[in-house]
Amino acid sequence: MDKFRIMVIDDEKIVGDMAKMSLEQEGYEVETFLNAEPALARLKEQKFHVVVTDYKMKGIDGMEVLRTVKKEYPGTTVIMITAFANLDAAIEALRGDVHDFFPKPVKIKELKESIRRALNKT
Amino acid sequence: MKIEKKLIISNIINGAFIILIGFFAFENMNLVLTKLRFVEIADDLNASFLTMRLAEKNYFLYHDRKALAEIHAMISSTVETISGVREDIIRAIGETDLNKLETRLKVYSTVVEETRTENTWDAQTESRLREEGRRLKEFSDSITHLERRRVNDIILSSKRILIFSFWAILASALLISHYISQKIVRSLRAIEKMTKSISEGNFHRIEGFRTRDELGVVITAINSMSEELAHREEQIIQSKKLASLGILTAGVAHEITNPLNNISMIAQTYEEMYAHLGEKDRREFMSKVDAETERIRKIVKNLLDFSKPKDANPSEADINVVIQKTLTLVQNMIDVQNIETMVRLEEGLPHLYIDEYQIQQVLVNLVTNAVQAMSPGGRLFIASRPGKERDSVEISVMDTGKGIPPEFLPHIFDPFFSTKGEGGTGLGLSVSYGIIKQHNGEIRVESKVGVGTTFTVELPRYHHEEKNDGQIQNHGH
Repeated sequence: MDKFRIMVIDDEKIVGDMAKMSLEQEGYEVETFLNAEPALARLKEQKFHVVVTDYKMKGIDGMEVLRTVKKEYPGTTVIMITAFANLDAAIEALRGDVHDFFPKPVKIKELKESIRRALNKT
Repeated sequence: MKIEKKLIISNIINGAFIILIGFFAFENMNLVLTKLRFVEIADDLNASFLTMRLAEKNYFLYHDRKALAEIHAMISSTVETISGVREDIIRAIGETDLNKLETRLKVYSTVVEETRTENTWDAQTESRLREEGRRLKEFSDSITHLERRRVNDIILSSKRILIFSFWAILASALLISHYISQKIVRSLRAIEKMTKSISEGNFHRIEGFRTRDELGVVITAINSMSEELAHREEQIIQSKKLASLGILTAGVAHEITNPLNNISMIAQTYEEMYAHLGEKDRREFMSKVDAETERIRKIVKNLLDFSKPKDANPSEADINVVIQKTLTLVQNMIDVQNIETMVRLEEGLPHLYIDEYQIQQVLVNLVTNAVQAMSPGGRLFIASRPGKERDSVEISVMDTGKGIPPEFLPHIFDPFFSTKGEGGTGLGLSVSYGIIKQHNGEIRVESKVGVGTTFTVELPRYHHEEKNDGQIQNHGH
């Protein structure tokens, strides 16, 4: 069976770098993007099982990524991370059928656990 | 001296002058009356003398002795008349002339008496009688004539004095009222100038006005008011700064979360991957941690700098650096609203002599206003460039917000004027205005409803000599 593919979108480069290193350790194939446009373009050519996206980004933001992914690729799980820890954002994300919502600073173990659960469902 | 007192005194002086003139005129009238009364008496006497002389002539022509008796009776009645109005005559012509007149009359009377008793007729007597009669008449005529002339002179000189007094009183009244009104106008101008400058946010004292009048009291009151305003403005600036600090802190807390998360993720990955990391990777991880820590330190420092109490402390500064520092403070607020920011800072601008934190405060205010005026997705344009006047630098903050209605534009720098409803204190722009004015700069606004608003701040460039004479003064101290 193919490796699970995970996409990480965050304008903080370190988030992508660290997530990639940790997740590849678990045997996932990981691609990172600093903003949403090239990430959404990449989704058109390649199926990803999980998209981990930052909530607040310049240009297309996390909510829009969530909406697009849910509409175009309903089988793909979206996990949102945010530095902007407000309740409204979390509620909005949950309504948009987000799988999980992590405020920064992110616990990588929890993130991995969340991804694992999401992949078990499918 | 109080203006009221001055007016009263000048009126008293003028009034006294008028009374004096009136008294003088009254005295002259009395004198004229006395003289006229004498002239009347003199006319009677003259008439008597004329009658005497006519009788004299009859005597010479017809040697009628009855004529002499007639003259005698006439003389007696004349003497009686004179003694009856003696006081009046003395008052009019003096005792000397009266004595002379009486002497002449007595001489004439003696001659008439001699002629009558001797009952002789010779040419000598005739000529003596004639001579004495003529002298008497002449003297009386000359006195009468003199008195008439005096009356005339008195009336003429009174007239002249009255005319002169009229002009003198008029002139003095005009001069005094001109002097007083000049003084009032001068003080009022100073007050006008001062209130104007206060309304522009400069709280200077009026100097060089040491009057103790009512206007002096007003000036003292305005001076103490302007001191109070300067003091209040300082408090307002500080409280306004604390208010913006509240907004900024929320943003900054979030701003710190990102580097904090980065450090945390590096640490977690480091721990998890430790065995798989090479020497080079480990070093790289640690240097990243260090860089992220530095990011946090900068954010915290900016915030601390911003909250420093206001003590205008101008120094030479590059406005572009100040703008960049301000942007780190407000970046999050801009991002949350998903606002696209364009920053165009011109290179090689002249340095400014400014209080960096105060100017930062102004920029934070302008950016906050811009962001609040825009719905998410607007565009914010921040630029620096050389000012239109060669010796200045212009900073503009432009938004694509809802704009300010033209009727509000003249008021937006007024204290407590706010269009933000309950959200705004109405102090941000007035405080900014005060700060820019203190820097001898200008702040302008252009706005179009539905298109957006541009605030432009113009600040004078740094001149070396300013360092010593301190262009910017913290006038509260």
